[in-house]
Amino acid sequence: MLVEFYLALIIPVYLTATVLFLIRALKGPTIPDHVLGVDLLSYNLAVLFIILGVFFREPILIITAIPLALWICALDIYVAKYLERKVMGS
Amino acid sequence: MIEDILVYAGLALIGLGAVAQLISGIGVNRFRNFYLRLHAATIGSIWGCVYPITGAGLVALGYRELGEYSTFMAGAAFITSFLILVLSPAGSHALARAAHKSRLVLVEPCVHDALDESMCARGGGSGA
Repeated sequence: MLVEFYLALIIPVYLTATVLFLIRALKGPTIPDHVLGVDLLSYNLAVLFIILGVFFREPILIITAIPLALWICALDIYVAKYLERKVMGS
Repeated sequence: MIEDILVYAGLALIGLGAVAQLISGIGVNRFRNFYLRLHAATIGSIWGCVYPITGAGLVALGYRELGEYSTFMAGAAFITSFLILVLSPAGSHALARAAHKSRLVLVEPCVHDALDESMCARGGGSGA
């Protein structure tokens, strides 16, 4: 009961941060700024998945956060490689 | 007893993460160029992501209502937090290096740029 009440109080703070990251992801003047915003949005989403998984007692929500974390890193590496060498893939 | 300690420690970490994400969100919007925004982004990814996920794992370990899935959820949460702890600095570093090498982002309020002096745009102000 205490856990659910506390998490219900905390989740709006994370959603506020989501809005702030979304502003940067949409506004960011350069390409790395957009990518940074999308990065932070995805990390925020991973945290929300796990907290909501505890809140709703749904174990399947937690599994989705692991590939999400890996995809964020893949996005970073691919964009960085493209910016540096102007090639996609290998 | 030990379950209560785990739950309270986990909830404290989740609250810490919420505050850190809020600080990171404000910082990402307030800082003046991409390299400065990376500092705020790192607060959001380590303090605001690794710590609350570890905290959620601790909560899941001590939370009786989760039933038989409690250890499963805790293990998945610890794995995710470790992956983010390793991968997030690597990704940020690759992005910053690519932005600097491809000359996409100038260092706008600049004091000294030892890598490439021509990227340094002086007279932009006093920093953040």
